[in-house]
Amino acid sequence: MLSDKRAIELVSKSFNGFLSNAESAAMDRHLEESRDSRGFARLSTAIQQSVVELASMAEQDVESAGPGLSQDAKMRIGDSIKLAIEQKLFESKLAPTIAGHVDETFEQATDSLIRREVQPGDHRQIGSRFTLIRQLGQGGLGNVWLARDEKLNRNVAIKEMNTHALQSPKAWQRFDREAEITGHLEHPNVVPLYQYGTDTKSGEPFYTMRFVGKRTLADAIEEYHDRCQAGKCDPLLLHRLLNAFLDVCQAIAYAHSRGVIHRDLKPENVALDNFGQVIVLDWGLAKVADDGELGGQISGDHDLTDEALAKTMVGEVIGTPLYMSPEQASGGTVCHQTDIYGLGAILFAILTGFAPHEKSLNGVDDRHAVRDVLKSIAENATPLPRDYRIDVPIDLESICKKAMSRKKYARHESASELATEVERWMVDQGRRQSEYENMRMEGRELRSNVQAAVRDLESNVRFMSNLPPIEELIRVESEDEMLAWRERLVTIFCGLLSAKPDYRSVVYSRIEGDQFTELVRVERHSTVHSTIRSIPRSRLRSGKSSDFTQHVVQMNPDEVYTSLACGPLCDAKSPTSDAVTLVAGVPVFDNASEDVFGVVIIECDLDRVMKEQLNRRFVAADIAIACDTFHVMMHNRTSQGLIEETVSQPIAKVLPKFNGAVAGLQNSMEFIDETDRQIYGARLWLIPKTHGIMFLLSQK
Amino acid sequence: MDRKRDSDSATLTHVEPHFWVEHYGDYLFRYANSRLRDTNSAEEVVQETFLNGIKYLQQFSGKGSQQAWLLGILKRKIVDFVRRRSKHQRAQPYEDEHDPSNQLFDDKGNWKQGAVPWSTAPDRDLQSAELRTIVNECLTHLPSGQADVFVLSVMEGMDSEQICKELSITPSNLWVRMHRARLGLANCVGSQWFSPDEVSGHAE
Repeated sequence: MLSDKRAIELVSKSFNGFLSNAESAAMDRHLEESRDSRGFARLSTAIQQSVVELASMAEQDVESAGPGLSQDAKMRIGDSIKLAIEQKLFESKLAPTIAGHVDETFEQATDSLIRREVQPGDHRQIGSRFTLIRQLGQGGLGNVWLARDEKLNRNVAIKEMNTHALQSPKAWQRFDREAEITGHLEHPNVVPLYQYGTDTKSGEPFYTMRFVGKRTLADAIEEYHDRCQAGKCDPLLLHRLLNAFLDVCQAIAYAHSRGVIHRDLKPENVALDNFGQVIVLDWGLAKVADDGELGGQISGDHDLTDEALAKTMVGEVIGTPLYMSPEQASGGTVCHQTDIYGLGAILFAILTGFAPHEKSLNGVDDRHAVRDVLKSIAENATPLPRDYRIDVPIDLESICKKAMSRKKYARHESASELATEVERWMVDQGRRQSEYENMRMEGRELRSNVQAAVRDLESNVRFMSNLPPIEELIRVESEDEMLAWRERLVTIFCGLLSAKPDYRSVVYSRIEGDQFTELVRVERHSTVHSTIRSIPRSRLRSGKSSDFTQHVVQMNPDEVYTSLACGPLCDAKSPTSDAVTLVAGVPVFDNASEDVFGVVIIECDLDRVMKEQLNRRFVAADIAIACDTFHVMMHNRTSQGLIEETVSQPIAKVLPKFNGAVAGLQNSMEFIDETDRQIYGARLWLIPKTHGIMFLLSQK
Repeated sequence: MDRKRDSDSATLTHVEPHFWVEHYGDYLFRYANSRLRDTNSAEEVVQETFLNGIKYLQQFSGKGSQQAWLLGILKRKIVDFVRRRSKHQRAQPYEDEHDPSNQLFDDKGNWKQGAVPWSTAPDRDLQSAELRTIVNECLTHLPSGQADVFVLSVMEGMDSEQICKELSITPSNLWVRMHRARLGLANCVGSQWFSPDEVSGHAE
């Protein structure tokens, strides 16, 4: 016999259907005999039924199932929901839509948002919010589309993962992180993220951002250098490129302040909109410093270690490590100074039109070779902008070189510091341009003053040759007559030298064949400048004509031959500065025979003319006047004053900095240093392509 | 209610967390309260349910109603809550203290004379509406360790294995708790249902 206690244990057990046949039979027998046990079984069955009904009523939302939430509870829970929504919006990259768009955002986040079937010209809306219009770009991770936001009636850019990336969980993670990081960076030069969501039809993630156009910094750099190659280099374009570079620096400085390292800086990742705004894109490879401001807010990137990144950049994402830093190429530790290198690499591209490692990568198309290039980047010296283009401004090259130093510590401390240096160069560029223009004016003034002196000389020699005594001396028949006319001519010549302190001598010579005979010669005393003397007949010279004289004889009446010479009547193989004079001669014709009778030659003290010109204040720090005829330095004026001892030396030896200008002046009247604004050159041809004077000026 | 359901149908694919309290708060609360028998606890799990819903918003496929989706979360939250409560109370030696057998049976295991509340009117019809109220009331008087396993088993329909796993208890412990719950409920319900006044009334 079962006890009552044991029997109702079996009753309890029977509700769960765990009774054996024997237990069931024993229980039934007991229930027949015990009224209380039967009462318990009946009551327990009713209770079980009631509980099931209670459960069912609550599930079916029958109001009699009990009171609802109190108003207090509703308010409290409502507040916590509101808070959670805001938190969710913030954390789920929906921050830009918090204000006033909460409802809409959640609705959109779960709706099928993207209409994917894109037909050219077919922009119908079929219940989706975004209509894809055309593809803007594609990368290893995803594709970017221009899309129409039908609700707000505006164009947006949509980034979605491509088919290949959708297969990779790591790519999903990267895509997610990219949106997450971009959403956290609120800066005018970081692309604003509008929305992040998942298309419920496809289950694929996407995010929308401001449509900033398709033009990138890479396009602007290409345009600038294409124009330069076509000879239409526009400094304004360089100025704009550098301004864009400053904006990129500011965006990166901001990201660094939030503990984010971009790691993939290149001109292709910088968008330029139509109104000059610069937007840094593609934060898919960014690294978030654990101790940075966002370190705790953004999911880790353990699958994207620095070493893995290097591999990723080679194979998966970028294809070529054109802008890669040595530490990235070697798989070393990446820090914010890696981005400084990246910024330097962008500056490199702006200055040269080439990516820093472009030469290393030329012709490389397989993975193994790329690994060799990585090794080369990691081990070899960083390329210099002037290796690619010689006309890169030297100061900018220095900035670029510092930013791209192999040693991280040698780079700029921060992106802001780099920006400041470039900005200072740009500001100085205006001042430098102004100073250069002043120097250019000085150079041109020097040339025009000397040119005026030459014209004056030519005018005077022509005038002298037409004086009556010149003609009379041809026809004289008596000694007395000759003496009288000679006396008159000496008087006039002396008057000329008195009036023109730069003139050294005036000579009237008779030419017979290749022989000359001086008829009248008035000259200035070689040491006592004020003394002017007429050379006595007994001291007048004769002999073989110089090349200069021969050239004068070849001229037509009133045609002046002007040149530089070591002396009017001799040819000097190794002239000295003192010997180089400015000489002008004109032939004198016998009216009777209509043949050349002689020549009138004026010799001008060029040294004196030059000293007079140089003896004043100049903007230019260094001025050199060189003679083409003998390829020697004639004068060199430094900021300390004239330096006499440098004269008579080949200019290439004395002042090699002017070599570029000297070369440039061979075919031009002017040399302008567009690149560095350091050197200016002007040329005065006395006899084109043969005899000339170069005026070379340089800044400090 | 119908209006709310219609609204659900119309917004099957729309998730509107800021309307959740208004639309589903009472429903979820009643459900939770029926299982947990405590308004504070019910409010707590409802709040957790909503917050969890926001957190895992993307998992809502839009194929079912938001109410059903939220109920799914709530059920999970109830089990979680029960587990926490169970752990919290484990240290307490309630097993013997709350064994109603001592009140109902003598040393030999037979009913104590006069201790069985339903013995006075065992054949009375058990009308459901009244009984539900009393059962509901009595559930709240049960020790939570017993009531919880009873609720999970009877109300939530969880099998023994699941309950043991969730609450980290042995099957025998589960069985003991279930039995004591039934005994305790019968004692409580019997006491209220078959009160002496009523018994005398019926006798008349």
